[in-house]
Formats: sequence, C-alpha cells, structure tokens
Amino acid sequence: MSTSLDPLVHTFVPASRIDPSLKDDLVAHCHDILRSHIGHRTDSSFSQLADLAKRRLLQLSPSGASASTFTALASKLLDQPVLSKKQEAILFLYTLSSLNAHQQTSLPSSIPSHRQPVQAQTTTPQPQSAAMGEDRTRSNAARLQEFRAQRGTPLIDESALVRDTLYLMQGISGKYVRFASSEDDEKSLTFTSDPRFTINPPTRTLIHRLAELGYLYSRVETFVRERENMPGVGMIEQSLCHYLQTQLTEYYRLIAVLETQLASSNPNENNASSPNPAEATGLSLRRLDVWVNEWRLRMRMMSVCVEGARDTHGGALVNLIHSYTDNGDPFIRKFTDELLEEVSRPFFVTLHKWLFSGELYDPFEEFFVNADSSLGHVPYVHPSSLPGGINQLSSEGMFPGFGDSDDMTGSSQKLWETKYRFRKDMLPMFVGESFGKKIFSTGKSLNFIRYSCLDSDWVITREKMSNTGGTLQYGDIGGLERSIDAAYQLASQRLFEVFIDKFKLLDHLSALKSFLLLGHGDFADQLMETLGPSLSRPAQSLYRHNLTANLETAIRSSNAQKDPTDVLRRLDARMLEYSHGEIGWDVFTLEYKVDPPLDTVLDNGAMEKYLKLFRHLWQMKRIEKALDTGWLRVTGSARTFIQLPEYESEWHKIRVTLHEMIHFIRQLEAYCRVEVIECSWNSLLEFLNKKDGDLDALIEAHRTYLERTTKKILLVNPKPGKEEILLRQLSELFNLILQFREVTDTFYNYCLSESARRDQQMDNVRGVYTGAAKDSPSHDLPSGILERLQECGSGFSEKVQTMVQQLQVHPDLDCRFLGIRLSFSDYYRPKKDSSVKS
Amino acid sequence: MSTKESERNSSAQQTLDILFEISQLLNTQLDKATLATCIGMVESGVNPEALAAVVQELRREGANAAQISGSTLPLR
Repeated sequence: MSTSLDPLVHTFVPASRIDPSLKDDLVAHCHDILRSHIGHRTDSSFSQLADLAKRRLLQLSPSGASASTFTALASKLLDQPVLSKKQEAILFLYTLSSLNAHQQTSLPSSIPSHRQPVQAQTTTPQPQSAAMGEDRTRSNAARLQEFRAQRGTPLIDESALVRDTLYLMQGISGKYVRFASSEDDEKSLTFTSDPRFTINPPTRTLIHRLAELGYLYSRVETFVRERENMPGVGMIEQSLCHYLQTQLTEYYRLIAVLETQLASSNPNENNASSPNPAEATGLSLRRLDVWVNEWRLRMRMMSVCVEGARDTHGGALVNLIHSYTDNGDPFIRKFTDELLEEVSRPFFVTLHKWLFSGELYDPFEEFFVNADSSLGHVPYVHPSSLPGGINQLSSEGMFPGFGDSDDMTGSSQKLWETKYRFRKDMLPMFVGESFGKKIFSTGKSLNFIRYSCLDSDWVITREKMSNTGGTLQYGDIGGLERSIDAAYQLASQRLFEVFIDKFKLLDHLSALKSFLLLGHGDFADQLMETLGPSLSRPAQSLYRHNLTANLETAIRSSNAQKDPTDVLRRLDARMLEYSHGEIGWDVFTLEYKVDPPLDTVLDNGAMEKYLKLFRHLWQMKRIEKALDTGWLRVTGSARTFIQLPEYESEWHKIRVTLHEMIHFIRQLEAYCRVEVIECSWNSLLEFLNKKDGDLDALIEAHRTYLERTTKKILLVNPKPGKEEILLRQLSELFNLILQFREVTDTFYNYCLSESARRDQQMDNVRGVYTGAAKDSPSHDLPSGILERLQECGSGFSEKVQTMVQQLQVHPDLDCRFLGIRLSFSDYYRPKKDSSVKS
Repeated sequence: MSTKESERNSSAQQTLDILFEISQLLNTQLDKATLATCIGMVESGVNPEALAAVVQELRREGANAAQISGSTLPLR
C-alpha cells in the first residue's frame, strides 16, 4: 500500500522527491487518514451512488447533458469485466469531486487538519497567506459565515432544526423553536434566544412556513377532540369529524415517514467528511417544505371547514362545504368532493327515511325539515322501532274521534301546516330549492298518510319497495332527482286517492255545496217553510232541539234524504251567539261537521267562509220567499178588493214595485248560482280529476274555490276601504224589501177589513144579516201608509240604480255581468229619474 | 495466451478510459496516471472516501509547498 502511495505523494508534492523526510511525513500522514474511519457508508447501492453523482453533475453543469453522459458511462463501466470494485471507484471519484467543490467554496479549515503540528514546524506563516490569497475570491456569504464564526455564534445545525420542525408540524414545541401560547389561543412562533446559536432569517421564514401546518393541525385536532367529548353533536358534524380524523391519520403517516427519513440520515451527522448532511441524505427544511406543500393546502381546507363548523350546523354545514366545490383548482375540488361525500352521508340517510317513509329521523335537527315537537305525534322514532310505534299511535288516534269537536277540527289542519317546517338555510345547495320543496312535501304527505289518515300499511309497503332501489348519495345527483320525482308523484297520487276514495272528500264538498250553499233547492224551500215562522221570533225563544227537529223534517221531506247518511249526520243546525233584540233570522245557521283528516282541507277558516256564505244566501232565500208570498197575495188582491176601486191604482203600483223587486232577487240568485258557485265548482272538479300536486295544492285549490265564491257572492270590491260597500247596499236593499213587505201587509190587512166592512154594509142593505153591523166606519186608512209605500218603491229603485252603476265599473267581470243582468233592458239607465218614478 | 493477455490489457485500457471520462465529468482534476494508481489502490481494498481525502490533502500540501518555496513548478 505504501508503495502505491509514493507515486501519489510524488505527483502531488513535487518537493517530496528531493526531500525524503517530507515524503515520509506525508506518507505517514496519508496512512493516518486511510486508517481513519472516514465515510464508512453503510447503505449505499450503486444506483444510489449514481444518483448522488448525477446530482453533483447537475450542480456542476445545470444543462443535464453531462448527467446523461455519466449514466451512459456508468452503464458501460458496469459491463467491463476488469474491475472488481467499480462502485468504490465511482465513490472515490465522486467524493473527490465533492471535496474539490468544498475546497472551492467553503473555508479550507472545514476539514480538521491532523497536519497542523507538522505545518507549524515547516511552514509557519502559511495560514495567513492562504487566507489572504483566498480573501479576494470569497463571497459575501462566506464572509458573513466567518464573521459569525468569530462572534462565536455558529448556525444551528440544520438537521436539528429539521427535527424541531417535525415537532412543530405536530403542534409540539421543539428545542430551538417553540410555540408561544398567549391567552387568546393565537399561536405564534418564538425562537429561543440561545446565545450559542443563531438561526438566520431565511431559515426562520422557512420554519415559519412549516409551522403553519402545526398550527392548523392543532386547530383541527382540537376541534375533533372537542366534538368527541361533546354531547349532542349532530350526525353531520360527527361524520365531518370522522373524515378529519382519517385525514389526520394520513398526516401522522406522513410525519412518520419524514421522521424515518430523518433518522436514517442521522448517522451521517457525526461524519466529519460530510459537513452538509442534509444535502447528502435528503431531509432539509426546503425539501420538507416541498413535500408538505400539498398537506398545507389540505390542512388549510380542513381548518376552514372547522372554522365554519363552529357556528353552522347540519345542512348549513353541508352547504358551507358545498360552496367550496365550485373551485377551479382540481385539488381543492377533489378534496371537497370527497369530504362532501363523507359528510353528506347522514344527511342522505335522513333524506331516504323522510322521502320513502315520511319519517323524520333527525335527532340533532340537522335536516332542512324541522318538526314541531309540541304537536302531536312523537317526532323521533327510531327506524327500528317503527312498527310498534305506528300501532301505538294509530290506536291512540282512533279513540278521540268525534269526542271534542272544537279541539279536533283545529288539530289536523294545524298538524299539516305546522308540524313540519321547511328551513331554507339548512337545505343543501346541491339539492336545489324546488326539489327541496318537493322532498318536503313528499315526506309530509307520507307522514300525513301514515298518521293522520291511518294508512300506514301502504307507506310501509312502499318503503320496503323503495329499499331495493339503491341508496341515495351525493355522487349521484341525477339519480337523486329522479327518485325524488318518483317519490313525489307516488306520494301525492296516493294522498289524492286517500282523500277522494277513502275519505270521500268529493262527497263532502258537494254536500257542503248543496246544503250550505243551498244547492238543494227543495231542501232549502222545505227548511224555509218549516223554520220560517219560528225564525221571526226573538232569538232567545229559539231552542236548538226545535231547530234540529225542523232540519230533520226538511231533510225527510226533500230529496236530500237520498244522500248518504254519513253526510246527513254531519249536518247540524244551530244558533250563533245572539245579543238582545235579534230575531231568529239573524242567528240561525246550518253547520257541517268534518273530522280529521278532512279538516286539513276543510279547516276552520274554510268552514267560517261557508257559514258566511250560507247566511248571505239564506237571507237571499228568505227575501225571495217573502216576495213570493207577497206576490201571491197581491195578485189575488185585484179580485178581492173589487169593492175598493179607489185603491186600484195603489195596488197596481205595488204590483209593479213588487215585480221589480222579484226581478232583482231572481237575477241575483241566478247570478250566485250559475255564474259563481257552479263555475267555481267546475274548476275545482277539474283540478280534482287531474290528481296532480300534493295536499298543499289540494288545499290551495279548495281555498281558491271558496275564495272566488265568497268574493263574487258578496260582491267584494278589491279596492281597499270599499270591500263591503256593495254588500252594505245589498243588505239595505233587503231591508227595504222587507219593509215594503210589511207596509204592503198592513195595507192589505186594512183593505181586507175595509172590504169586509163594505160587504157587510151591502149585506145589510140587502137585508141579509151577517153579523153585528159595525157602524163605526172603523179606522181610516192608517196615516202615511201610501206615502211609505211610495217611499219604499222609489227608494228601492234608486238604490238598485246606484248599485247597478257601481256594478258596471266593478273590477270583477262577473260582477259587472250581474250589473248587466239587473239592467238588461237599460231600465236602470242613469239620468232617467222621471221614468223610474212610476 | 498472448491474445488473452492483450485482450485483458485492452479491456483494462478501456475501463480506464471510461473512468477517466467520468473523472473529467466530475471535475476531479486527476490525470490518467494518478487515476490508474488510485483505482489500483481502491481495487486493493483501500477505503475510497479516505483515499479521496488523502488526495485532497496531498494536493493542498503540494500547493502549500509550491507557494512557500516560490517554486514555479506546476501542481501536477
């Protein structure tokens, strides 16, 4: 070995040729070095070595050409049979090369020199001159480094910082860098001011960047921990936590890998020959920065979600996450999609339950449908306990039945309208609002069918059928929409069937029409006939049992007896609350009782409207009847009062006025019946036959029907402040007619007695005794009666005229048409006062 | 026998050429003869990294000697 060292020494130190002692010295020194344990690489394979060399080559010439040349040469070398230690040869060259590089850039003193004493002996002024010689070529960095070395505060070894940083990334303070935890939970980094070390600013920045991960990590982790221990955390949040936890586990894995990397590079740390271990082994702060870059993004996303989750809840949380999916960055999009898939799972479970069985299983109020727990049925039934729950509920629902009518009529309607509420802010955006409404309505319908219509069998069958159809999930929005549509169709179809077939909604509606809206003319006539006399009495003298008995009679004597008994038994007569001085006409009303679930459609408001309509129509009927009887008398009067020729013209006038009144009331009635009730009824029937839409639509349709009827019959003017103006005129007209009837009756009675007196007189004249002659020429014509007759007649005409005028400018076309009907022959043309005064 | 010898020689020459090229690529500043010597030493089992340190050391020594003596002799 020494023999081969000699030529080396000779080559490099020519002076040794002539100076054997120097040569011996050098050779000995070389032996020392060779025997030392420099660079015992433990784990380098050829390919690894080649990689190192290539990296070095790239440093020398960044073009990369030499690297590829090297690869070619290396493979050629491997083919050569001669050398046995090719790897070592390459390693030698590589080490030499990298040492060369160090010699050029860094201080020469970086290699501990065993040679120092020898140098001191032979060449004392050498270091200075060498330093001088190199001073010119040194960079500023090198100078700075030297300055630091003089100050005695060397840079911390990077590997130590890397270790610290790894700790920081887990939210743990390191040895040199630690988190300063101030009060307000905001963490900031502090660098320990150890006088022995410094960390230069670029490194600090780098560590700051890396520590961000640690900060985010600790936030996410705290969140997950908190939620783990908190009671009443929503399912969506739980699944968010689950996802975060999986992500954190991934993160731990990364940290573990990095740590292994660091550990594997550790042995070289002590190695004097490689002063920059990071470069050689692969874990430096910069590299770390690159490797965790993706994770930084991910952590940021997670942290944002965590921030959002603090004050949102359930569906709103899903919404929040969904708002990040519209991102141009495929990485973020993918991440949020995954997250959403995971997070929305409990939502879809709830949705499935709701959509196919109408059951709201949402213990943490995260769904966009919210149950009002104060109303009726137990809202949270666990799926597994459903069958039992239903039986129990249905038996519960059976018994109250007809018991307390006031209570029951309100409940079903209230149940439908307020049991479940739609919460728009909780609706996930990917569902869309129209679909949300559909889902809401579907579930509500099913729930209603189940609990209010006691038709749970159907729902259960449906649920079983739907279970085979696969699950709903975020990835398959199209399928979701299809199944929503299908479910919606089915549910609303079924609801219609239930209402129309099982609960005979149509029967009840037509019963309401024929009884309360006086559709059955014969029944109304009979009722009027039997009730008429008693209704003229003061209200307090009426008794309900009399009324009901009369009602019964009317039903029996009219065609109404053919109606189904179920309908008839709901019909009832009663009195409204009366005050002093009111007569029977004011307080009498018919009533139609409905029980749940029909009262969802025929709710209290609707029934009130029906009653209002009934009273109006009933009054109209009464007027008509009164006029009829009046007319009967008046027509017969011509012959009866042949003895009273002086009143002939009066009677004629009465007949004309009466006729006018009859015309008026007939037109009014015809209008109400044909134009209003039947037309509205037709459109309602059309809707019912279509069987489209849900219960809400049904309620809406019925409401429109009723609304329209009420508005037109009561001649409501939509202008504010004028709603009742025509109605008031109408009731004034009615009053006028009644007054007129009264006056006519008085006049009639007077005429009757007068004519009887004259008959008697004539009998006496003829000598026939027909009773005690009343000499006294009885009372005269009651004073003012003719004037009053006149007044009533003209007042009526005037009023009708103003009414017709108003009707002709009424915004409603049908009402305007009524005006035309009333004044068909232009009888009530304005400015015709002379002709009106008949 | 002689052909085999020459073959061996030529292949050794080839190997040396390759190694020299690599050495040049890596900018080790070794000449062919020194390279041959060093490879020979490595072949005989010398720790290559230590050897590299030796070469480095000797170079520095040589430079120092040259400077001190003011000699105009080239390093190599």
